[in-house]
Amino acid sequence: MSFTFRAGPNRTVQGNLEAVEAQLLAYLFGQLLDLLGPAEDTSNADPLAIELGLADLGTGLEDMAPPEDPAVARLFPNAYRDDDEASAEFRRYTESDLRSGKRSRAQCALESLPEDKGGRFDLDQEQAQCWLGTLNDLRLVLGSRFNLTDDGQDPGAGLEQGDPLLAYVPAYHYLGYLQETLLEALPR
Amino acid sequence: MSTAPIELDQPDVADADPLEAAERPWTTIVWNDPVNLMSYVSYVFQTYFGYPRTKAEKLMMDVHQRGKAAVSSGSREEMERDVAAMHGYGLWATLQHD
Repeated sequence: MSFTFRAGPNRTVQGNLEAVEAQLLAYLFGQLLDLLGPAEDTSNADPLAIELGLADLGTGLEDMAPPEDPAVARLFPNAYRDDDEASAEFRRYTESDLRSGKRSRAQCALESLPEDKGGRFDLDQEQAQCWLGTLNDLRLVLGSRFNLTDDGQDPGAGLEQGDPLLAYVPAYHYLGYLQETLLEALPR
Repeated sequence: MSTAPIELDQPDVADADPLEAAERPWTTIVWNDPVNLMSYVSYVFQTYFGYPRTKAEKLMMDVHQRGKAAVSSGSREEMERDVAAMHGYGLWATLQHD
């Protein structure tokens, strides 16, 4: 019987992808990694400052505005609705770690993909969590690109014929299917 | 033996002890968004907060139907930690003073 994700023994998840699915996911995981940017170069920073998460203190609060790219801003939203200063302070202390967490999950998901030809593969608990977070982050990014605002809104509805973004509409639905299926396969 | 009841002046809110005000809890609010799966939101509430499935589903339905839900309360520091965790999972969350 065909399956995409199913529970495996010892709280693992078993996956099964066609070649074209594995190739698509490799591409999408790579796109997310590009969007998240490279790991920060902290080679010149005080090791104690890095340890305390204070390596970029000294930048003014004005540098801690939300990211300009709305898709990235959706991944790192403001923590305070009505207080930009508190939001900036929160961002200063948390965004770097949040970003590197998402980066390492996407990297882990990419590395756990079966090769280009697809096939059966196993995910341990940590890898399954990496997939769950990465699939969600990808859907958030695409949702932002589609300007999704309402529940049940059709992602392609606002797009002109010939818009390259249209090609990502099936991918968005596919990622939702993957995430839903993975959730069902996780140990509870 | 009975005594006449003593009438107490109700304190004016404006005169409230500032220390008391500082101890009023902060709350983490999770907001609805069009991308996150209902199953995923419920999963996060169970996994991160340790809520039983029924409570997680109820909070998730509040987010879905009412637009938001208060998912935890505590000190400002604790709520910042919870909000950061929600952002890690991709949920849209904010904290506010009650």
